[in-house]
Amino acid sequence: MTEQLLFWVFAILSCGGALAVVVTQNVVRMAFWLVVSLGAVAALFFLLHADFLGAAQLLIYVGGTVVLLVFGVMLTASGHTIKVQTTPAETLLGCGVGLLLLCVLVFGIKSVEWAKEIPGVGDSAAAADQAEDAKLASDVASAKTDESRQAAINARDAAVARRQSGRTLRQLGLSFFGLRPDRNLNQEQGKPLAPGYLLPFEIISIHLLVVLVGAAYLARAKCRATSGLEADL
Amino acid sequence: MGSVGLEEYLIVGAVLFVCGIVCMATKRNAIGVLMGVELVLNGANINFVAFSRYTPLGLDGQATALFVVVLAAAEAAVALAIALNYYNNHLTIDVDRGNELQG
Amino acid sequence: MDPQSTGELLRNLLTVAWLLPLAGFVAEIYWLRWSHRLSKTAAYCAVACIGLGFICSASALITWGVATRGAAFSDAHGGHESGHHAEQHHEEHEPQLGAAEGEKVAAADPHNHDNDKKHDHKNDEHKDAHAATEHAGMPKAFSGTFYRLAKFGALNVSLDWYIDSLTLVMFTMVTFIATCIHLFAIGYMKDELTEEYEDHEVHTSHGHFTRPGRFHRFFSYLSLFCFSMLGLVLAGNIFQVFIFWELVGVSSYLLIGFYIERKSASTAANKAFIMNRVGDFGFLIGLMILWTWCGTFQFADVDHDPGLFTMIRGNDGKIDVSEDGKQVYLRDAHGHRLESNGKPSTIGYLLLIAAGCGIFAGCIGKSAQFPLQTWLPDAMEGPTPVSALVHSATMVAAGVYLAARFYPVFTPEVLLVIAYVGCITLFVAATIALVVTDIKRVLAYSTISQLGYMMLAIGVAGWGAGLFHLVTHAFFKSLMFLCSGSVIAGCHHVQEMPRMGGLRRKMPITAYTMLIGVVAISGLAIPVLNIGLSGFYSKDEIVASAMAYSNANRVHFLLFLTPLVTAGITAFYMFRLWFLTFYGEPRDQHVYDHCHESPRIMTTPLIALSILAASCAWGWGTSGTGNEGPLFKLIAFSETVPSTEAVTLNGLTIPSHQGHHSDVHAVHGKAGLLALIAAFTGAIFAYLMYGSRVINPAEIRRQLPGVYDFLLDKWRFDVLYDAMFVRPVHIVSAWCADFDKKVLDAILHASASVTVLVARWDRLFDETMVDGIVNMVGSVTRSIGYSLRVVQTGRLRQYVMWIAVGVVVLFGVLFTSLPK
Repeated sequence: MTEQLLFWVFAILSCGGALAVVVTQNVVRMAFWLVVSLGAVAALFFLLHADFLGAAQLLIYVGGTVVLLVFGVMLTASGHTIKVQTTPAETLLGCGVGLLLLCVLVFGIKSVEWAKEIPGVGDSAAAADQAEDAKLASDVASAKTDESRQAAINARDAAVARRQSGRTLRQLGLSFFGLRPDRNLNQEQGKPLAPGYLLPFEIISIHLLVVLVGAAYLARAKCRATSGLEADL
Repeated sequence: MGSVGLEEYLIVGAVLFVCGIVCMATKRNAIGVLMGVELVLNGANINFVAFSRYTPLGLDGQATALFVVVLAAAEAAVALAIALNYYNNHLTIDVDRGNELQG
Repeated sequence: MDPQSTGELLRNLLTVAWLLPLAGFVAEIYWLRWSHRLSKTAAYCAVACIGLGFICSASALITWGVATRGAAFSDAHGGHESGHHAEQHHEEHEPQLGAAEGEKVAAADPHNHDNDKKHDHKNDEHKDAHAATEHAGMPKAFSGTFYRLAKFGALNVSLDWYIDSLTLVMFTMVTFIATCIHLFAIGYMKDELTEEYEDHEVHTSHGHFTRPGRFHRFFSYLSLFCFSMLGLVLAGNIFQVFIFWELVGVSSYLLIGFYIERKSASTAANKAFIMNRVGDFGFLIGLMILWTWCGTFQFADVDHDPGLFTMIRGNDGKIDVSEDGKQVYLRDAHGHRLESNGKPSTIGYLLLIAAGCGIFAGCIGKSAQFPLQTWLPDAMEGPTPVSALVHSATMVAAGVYLAARFYPVFTPEVLLVIAYVGCITLFVAATIALVVTDIKRVLAYSTISQLGYMMLAIGVAGWGAGLFHLVTHAFFKSLMFLCSGSVIAGCHHVQEMPRMGGLRRKMPITAYTMLIGVVAISGLAIPVLNIGLSGFYSKDEIVASAMAYSNANRVHFLLFLTPLVTAGITAFYMFRLWFLTFYGEPRDQHVYDHCHESPRIMTTPLIALSILAASCAWGWGTSGTGNEGPLFKLIAFSETVPSTEAVTLNGLTIPSHQGHHSDVHAVHGKAGLLALIAAFTGAIFAYLMYGSRVINPAEIRRQLPGVYDFLLDKWRFDVLYDAMFVRPVHIVSAWCADFDKKVLDAILHASASVTVLVARWDRLFDETMVDGIVNMVGSVTRSIGYSLRVVQTGRLRQYVMWIAVGVVVLFGVLFTSLPK
């Protein structure tokens, strides 16, 4: 119940924050509401057993990106540009199109029968866990041969590993080194090992470096053409 | 209020996504547009993580979401640099002024 | 001196003499580049070139005389059969000698050995045999090749040389006369030494025509002519002869048209050139026949390949006719019949006649023989030195020279044609000369007549006689032309004899040198002693040849009668000229008063020429004069066809010439006497009519009006030719022009308009269809682009909106269209 309550609280917070970002005209306030929305999203990540990701969300977004945006606001804001009004017609049109899009998405989500499409979806996570534990224990106990017994033991180990899913830091770290404990532990013998994310990780690293260099280049100090002209005048 | 499942998370992601889109479409301030982009990315991220939790996807969803977060940070840096340049050139942050690509 | 080095020496000397005028021509044609118009140096250059040429030629002649130990001058011919025999004797060894001599100097002398042996037995006189054998090994002719231009199969086109005593005599004669005339021309042409020469015979709208003087150009033309003429004489093949033949034609054309601004001069130049083309057409046909059937142009044998002379005449001087008389076998230097592909090489007898007549047609044109004689009188439009050099002494004699050179190829029929052509010419021209009053034209007709004599002589087999006359005539005729030039210059370009008279008191040197020429051409001599000037001997010889021929062929008695009568006519018109010009009282006092003797530069050549005109046929210490004198023997030395006995072929008998027992010798005294009587008759008539005025020529004129007018109209040849050729050509041309205008032009215009029509349609199609499609594609693309550009607003937010709308619409479309 607690989990459900928390979900609804944070879901409303994140959606409301996002709506407030849309509705608000002041950029600084928009930034504030963005912080609220993104923080709620981070909480949702925690609820989804993605602890590391939630922490990273808080650190990077709330602590980094939004601050960056606020810096941008400060660097560009000059009186009349801090508020640039959109015409009501545009707002109305945007809202209309947004609502249409939302309808399309919600309709799409609702129209899919998730339980049928993906096995195991639909039960609540906790109930599924308990049912699975019982079934696995009985499997191990009732195993007649050594082989079937071994398979049952493997399945139980995989479930235990998945049970630790809230604490994903170690797993993510291993997967970035190319190891997949969540997959390979309950894999049948002879199947090929699932690959990790070593290569995407490296690519991302290089990408970040390049982006930072490019951003520094783009934003480097230049004399302002027009304002310099004005100063001369 | 039933139990929380995949659909609820997906709807929250959809709402965030639509809010981001509307934000991009209606804000004339370039920073506002960037905020819209962040919202869109977060909406998508919620989807990834939800699928990671409720489907046999396992860690894949989380890892992808992590990449998205990182890329979003990089994108924000570059976009901010672009916005600064834009401001330098046009002395305004109004994206409607930048219509050089008009056909 | 051995034969080979003699041949090379002769060749070198003559080549120098030949090429010097060419160098002179090149220098003089560009004279104004390094000198000015008033300078006489161009003339001195020309004189130096031709004078050096004369020295070279004379040296060559002396070399020849030394090499033959004088045999050529004294023993070659005539009463000394043994000399002749001895000469023949050495030629029995000729094949070996020819081989020893190498390729440059080859002997070219077909002679009959058997014939010689017969004579050997007949004649017991051997007194000169020793002298003759001493020059054994000296061939009659040297020949060789300067440079091969091209080789087509078996045919060589090359620059050859052919030197025998005739070549040497011609060289010496031409260079000597040319030197004299060059000197004379320095005086005669001095009017041209001016920046503004006023031509009194050309009238323009503002008086007389004036132009810059052309002194140097005159001499450059003369040099070109000398080069061409010497090349013609030196030529060793008939094709080369043709080349230089045309070159002398061009020089003649340039010199006749020297006063090109005068309509009469340019017309005369054209006439001469075109008339010569008619003859050259025949020449070319002859060349082609010989090329096709004999495959060579060479006169003499080269490297043991037989030349034309050997092919036709073999080694015995006879034409080898097949039994049916239709083919002539070609033979080599040993008398063997040539073979190709196992069959004997032959040429059709009729073809040989055609070839001979063709070559002779060229000679007719060049030597102004009937029926192409009309150009020569008109050619007197050129300056008088030109008339003296080109149109009396050398170029017109080239026709005779070629006929003589080509004598071995001529069949008796061709010779008969030559004889009759010469006969008609000499009579026609002499009669016209009776009534002509222009001093130069009298001489021109006289030249034609004398050339007719030469042709006649060659035609009646008087080979030596014809060439003998050629040389003597060259001297006295050039002398007379120069005298007339002196008169014309002295009388300020008056040429009409009726306006002269009594000029001997004003210009004695001219008058008496002229008298020498007149006596020479008339053939007067002291009776009994038989001492006369050169013309007497040569004409004597011709008349004797003609008489021998008509004795042998009674049908052709006219060939003897006509020259005999014409000898009288010749004497008459020549003395008429002299009496009208120099004798009696002046008839035009104005002309007489302004008349003066020419300067020394003009009279000196006159004297030099008059000495030679008088004496060139004399013996000069040798055994005889005339046909026993050195000049005649030198010429006869190179006779290629022996004539020691009469030959009969196809009903025509060629009388024998050589030796004391020959047919000609038998009639020589009689013929000489008849000719002398005719000459004296003519001269006396002339004195009576124009000297003492006992007979009034006007009365004779009145009594024979038809004849007089006929003669004055030059036998109406020009009228005849006008009616026969010029007018038909005009008519045909008019027809052609009409056809051109009415039919061809119509067709052309029609096709042109059809083309324009088609082109217009084509253009319409192009502009509407092709361009329309292309333009349509372009404009449609452009309009689509214009309509689409509206979408590209460049506004960021709008794009985002469109993306969202696009997603919604796409979803809607998919949802509605895809099955569940």
